[in-house]
Amino acid sequence: MSESYDRGTVEDFGRWREFTAGMWAWVLHKFTGWVLIGYLFTHIAVLSTATAPDPAVYGDTLSTLEGFVVVRFLEIGLLSVAVFHILNGVRLLMVDLGVGLEAQDESFYASLVLTGAIVVASVPTFLEGVF
Amino acid sequence: MSTQEQKPPETETEQDEAEAAETEASEEAAPTPGERRRQERSERQATAPAAEAIEGPTRQLRVFRYDPEVAEKAEPRFDDFHVPFEPGMTVLDALIYARDHYDSSLTFRHSCRQAVCGSDAMFVNGRQRLCCKTQISELDDPVRVEPLPHQDVVKDLVVDMQHFYDQMHAVDPFFDPDETPDGMEEQRQSPENREYIKMATRCIWCGACTSSCNIAAGDNQYLGPAAINKAYRFAMDEREGPEKEQDRFEILEEEHGVWRCQTQFSCTNVCPKDIPLTEHIQEIKREAVKRNLKFW
Amino acid sequence: MAERYSSFDPDGTMWLLQRVTAAFLVVVLAFHFFLLHFVHHPAEIDFAGTQARMADVGYFTTMVLFLVAGAFHGVNGVYNALVNQGLTGTRKRAVKWVLVLAGLLLVAQGVRTALYMNGFLP
Repeated sequence: MSESYDRGTVEDFGRWREFTAGMWAWVLHKFTGWVLIGYLFTHIAVLSTATAPDPAVYGDTLSTLEGFVVVRFLEIGLLSVAVFHILNGVRLLMVDLGVGLEAQDESFYASLVLTGAIVVASVPTFLEGVF
Repeated sequence: MSTQEQKPPETETEQDEAEAAETEASEEAAPTPGERRRQERSERQATAPAAEAIEGPTRQLRVFRYDPEVAEKAEPRFDDFHVPFEPGMTVLDALIYARDHYDSSLTFRHSCRQAVCGSDAMFVNGRQRLCCKTQISELDDPVRVEPLPHQDVVKDLVVDMQHFYDQMHAVDPFFDPDETPDGMEEQRQSPENREYIKMATRCIWCGACTSSCNIAAGDNQYLGPAAINKAYRFAMDEREGPEKEQDRFEILEEEHGVWRCQTQFSCTNVCPKDIPLTEHIQEIKREAVKRNLKFW
Repeated sequence: MAERYSSFDPDGTMWLLQRVTAAFLVVVLAFHFFLLHFVHHPAEIDFAGTQARMADVGYFTTMVLFLVAGAFHGVNGVYNALVNQGLTGTRKRAVKWVLVLAGLLLVAQGVRTALYMNGFLP
């Protein structure tokens, strides 16, 4: 057996143009998953520090954060990440139950489109009052 | 034999040896048939015609070359071959043409050329395909032919399939009814059951699915879609004995068994025999959960 | 049958729990987002409002279950992603226990925060 030509993971992601729907779904679900667990830890940390003996700290922290435009956009990002993970997650639950396997490619595209639609529809609410 | 370098015939005859010795001494001796063939071959290979030199339509093959034992090919590279196109030509046909007319050191596995032996699975234009089953007319130029990803390359388009075979054997890919019936009684299977496992029986061990799976690529211990499908074929066979079925499920339920599957569907997409692999893996998962739930 | 394993198969249970928590989270996360971004806006949330919500036992319980389910689903997801990438042996065991600890700390701190929010802890 000779030396091997490295054909590892990086080579795979270099071929992103050739990804099938199922491959995109897997990559995006993983990526959004990491973002969400990271957010969960951050969220609990921020909330617990804001819940100080003085109740005013809580409200002040939140309204200060919400005053930053960057934070508003990060929230929109969080929404899109969460919505995609939920919709693709529902698709995966269907696959696990053996329902609708013939249309699994289409259901991925549908979850992408729906994510986009929900995010776009929510932008006005999320950006309310910051400008 | 197709995977070996073409050797000129009659290399070992005494006549040749005697004449070769003679030819060394004097150039005037008439060339032997073997020598003549060797000369014709080197002339042919020295001037591999470009696309323009061939009459009629041609297709361009871009083939991965690698040979750790040859200095020029120790670093992987891509070679271009222009092959004359004929209607109905498959990628395998094109590779064989390239090997026979341009470079006899081009090495790849093939055998039946009718999609039953599973030897010629390769990575063609970005996808795992069976070369004998893939029409050149359906592919864009240049047709890139590479060895299967996620497996060690031995030479050119030949990969080491041993790990794949190890995973297949790990699931005990054989029929075991626990007890054989007395006398000469047949072990019958209902037509419905046969229909149920029909697709699972079509596996030709080509390795395309396991090569396409990113989990199989990252996790070396993962059984892979082909092995799980093989286990499915027997586990879902009504003639299989309950004890053997239990053993089989224990193998499948290990940490690197069915649970590693992330339903990427790449295996289903590339299987040349159209086996719904992901569906079968999912069925095994559901079955395993149901069996476990029965024991509080 | 001669012998069979008597306990739940651990990996199968993890797989099932990941799906069960997923189904629960789909609903509750959507509800959480909806309540706190659309019904109420983040900028106008104050401690009094939060305390009022958390005082309701049903809401409080849901939030705690939400935290536990989310922590499990996320930490288990991270663990599986790493195993899929090829994590093995001692490192795998080490990572597993670090993740378990992180998850437990997350839940503990979250529950503490929840108890501050509903006024149970001063």
